Amino acid sequence: MMMQGAEVLLEQAEFIGVAVIVLVLAYLALEHKEITYAVFFFGFMAAAVAGFYLLLEAPFLVGLQIAVYTGGISALIIFGVLLLPRAQDSSLEIFQTARRRRFGLLLSGAVMLLSAILAFFYPWSDLPPVSPPELAQSLQGLAAWLWSGHGIYVEMVALIMLTALVGSVAILKMMKAEELRPLTTESHPESAGKKDESGSSSAPQTETGEGAKEAGPE
Amino acid sequence: MIPLSWYLIVAFMLIGLGAYGMITKRNLIRIIIGAEIMANGVNIALVAFSVYTEVFTFTGQSLVIIVIAVTAAHTALAMALMLMYNARYSTVDLGEPVVSEGRRHE
Repeated sequence: MMMQGAEVLLEQAEFIGVAVIVLVLAYLALEHKEITYAVFFFGFMAAAVAGFYLLLEAPFLVGLQIAVYTGGISALIIFGVLLLPRAQDSSLEIFQTARRRRFGLLLSGAVMLLSAILAFFYPWSDLPPVSPPELAQSLQGLAAWLWSGHGIYVEMVALIMLTALVGSVAILKMMKAEELRPLTTESHPESAGKKDESGSSSAPQTETGEGAKEAGPE
Repeated sequence: MIPLSWYLIVAFMLIGLGAYGMITKRNLIRIIIGAEIMANGVNIALVAFSVYTEVFTFTGQSLVIIVIAVTAAHTALAMALMLMYNARYSTVDLGEPVVSEGRRHE
């Protein structure tokens, strides 16, 4: 009996520890001044959320969460940040006005308050958590559930991901086609120097670059 | 035993925090992070609901798998849109003054 009480206390302490880590990391991911660190904090937060799945005995989701969120989505956002030098410079970032911040705080506070009321006062199930099957059986059961009776939903998810992939590529291609101003040699100091020497006109980069090379000082 | 309401509290706090980020931030990367935080809160609530039932089913876990896949897809799309926005306006901050030809005022 005493051992059971100690186990419950330990489990609750684990939950509180994970919850504090997740909430602090989520706050830092939103509020840290340096965007690169913010993305890293988000990755750590996603890894810490896997702790909840461990407590809920969902081992497959632990692996999926770490692989997709920490390994995939965070890495994708970091690559995005690295592609945009301007985004890395925190001194250029425009922060919210005090009014907008107050509005956001008020709205999110209202969401949290209503949710807390819902969580505490709605008659949720008082049942204890059911013990899930063993790991091997759990994975087998999950696969069977997904592919036997609900394969169509898995196919739909695959279709959504394919659509997103094609859409992303299409958007980036569109961006290339819609370039507002072709790159000229003026943007590159070395090429600009060459251009001055050769006296070529402001043609697009490829042509001018080749022209500058050909007409370089001999 | 951890009560169900504890999981729900954390899940709702994450949803609120993500909503705060999405409402107040002007940086597109932070807005994407806010959306991801909200999705994490939803996932925790789904798994908790699926465990605190009379009979164990895989419904909650399967829904979480679908949510994770959709989240990954919308992040990829959001990053592509962000790159496009940056190429056009030379910034990733929403609401900066722009001129008609699409270049940002310096």
